Amino acid sequence: MSKQERIKILYVDDEINNLHGFKASFRLDYNVFIANNTAEATDILNNHPDIRVIFCDQRMPDKTGVEFFGEIRGQHPHPVRMLLTGYTDIESVIDAINMGHIFRYIKKPWTDADIRSAVDEGNKFYLANSMLAIKNEELQKAYNELDKFAYSVTHDMRGPLLSILGAVDVAQNIDDIGEIKEMLGLMELSVKKLDNFIQNIHDYYNLKRGDLQITDIDFSKVVNDQEDIYKITAKMNNIDFKTEVQQNESFRCDEMSMKVILNNLLSNAFKYQKKNNGDKFVHLNVTIDKGLAHIQVKDNGIGIHENHIGEIFNMFFRATSEEVGSGFGLYNVKDALLKLNGEIKVDSVVDGGTTFNVTIPSK
Amino acid sequence: MSQYQASKMTQQKLHFIVIDDSKLDCFIAEKIIRNTGVSESIKSFVDAREALEHIKNHPATDAANKTILIVDIQMPVMNGFEFVEAFEELPEEIQKGYIIYVLSSSINESDLTRVRNYKSVKHFLNKPLTSNTLSTLVEWI
Repeated sequence: MSKQERIKILYVDDEINNLHGFKASFRLDYNVFIANNTAEATDILNNHPDIRVIFCDQRMPDKTGVEFFGEIRGQHPHPVRMLLTGYTDIESVIDAINMGHIFRYIKKPWTDADIRSAVDEGNKFYLANSMLAIKNEELQKAYNELDKFAYSVTHDMRGPLLSILGAVDVAQNIDDIGEIKEMLGLMELSVKKLDNFIQNIHDYYNLKRGDLQITDIDFSKVVNDQEDIYKITAKMNNIDFKTEVQQNESFRCDEMSMKVILNNLLSNAFKYQKKNNGDKFVHLNVTIDKGLAHIQVKDNGIGIHENHIGEIFNMFFRATSEEVGSGFGLYNVKDALLKLNGEIKVDSVVDGGTTFNVTIPSK
Repeated sequence: MSQYQASKMTQQKLHFIVIDDSKLDCFIAEKIIRNTGVSESIKSFVDAREALEHIKNHPATDAANKTILIVDIQMPVMNGFEFVEAFEELPEEIQKGYIIYVLSSSINESDLTRVRNYKSVKHFLNKPLTSNTLSTLVEWI
């Protein structure tokens, strides 16, 4: 192990000779800190919060080891606490263990093997606890997302349904075919919105739960598929859709994630166009260079206000009331990129257009 | 036209403003309102900010004829809550020209509680808006 990776341990004892002996024995295996009294020990802990194991002598002039551990536990809950003591103090040791102040105790005089085994066990315990803390945090995040999810699902699924229901009710009292057709058009939009939302949920779930399936990606094929999807939209709305692919090396990635990213960025570029612009465009450029895929999606649409740029990747965030956005697309893009260790950058000017630049490393 | 509607007409004509990010919902509301025959004017906005600007710039000319605002809750950019909060910041003489009804598909208890706590909101209505609901609402005024 390199010096940086060595486990940090702290030894507190009022006898200088013990400290030096300890350091001499273990300095090659661990990153050893020593303290001659508890004040010094607290300073060291404050400066090195990543110390994993603390050994402390029970009998010291200023306070006992048990007292010291009781004190630091609040501020430094993570380091594993070990008490060094002789048989005579066994009562206080039992109390300390029962109160949870210490992980285990080591009988004095200690042997090197005692200490090594204690550090090993302590380190395992430390790692397990840290993992638990990380998992708990992830779990809390997942819960929060689920709450948000449940709340928005009721709106995003019920909303379009109730719109259609309302329209059906109104249409029953209308005789004018023209008006009915107009309403059918709006009802169609509602159905599409609902369908779009369900597809997004499907992507969301696949990204969250699915494992990556790494294969060789042929970008001209992937881009071709996207062209097929958007060709009609481009034609109908008079949008100049250009794609360019430069791939002279193999690139390995999860195809499904790649599709989610491309599809959502393109779908937004087509959706958020300026209605009366006579010169609408969407340009997709993919370049593979030295194991990195650079993807650029550029449009000259309505743009994103700078106040909203920071929020566009949040779940259910929508920066505009234009069009039928679900507030899901860019969240899924970010989620996919997180899994692929990719990055995304946005440049946008209101009324000028938006450019997304994505970089993804080959797996 | 029913007797009831005819009698209403002689009393007063109401102005309506519908705020909903769904074009279809705006359309439905407009149709239903028009069919009741009590409307003097109907405007709809898909962006609550534009509605707020409109209200600021068009203070009611006569206090007797109030404008009924029908506002959706969940909308992008400015949602229904934000709209009501901004509305309550407006000068008193503007505010008293309007009656706010919140119309939503939300079945979330905390949304309903929140709606009840705004002094300017008269009532909460469930989507979809029907002619029955609207007639009841007009009767209350």
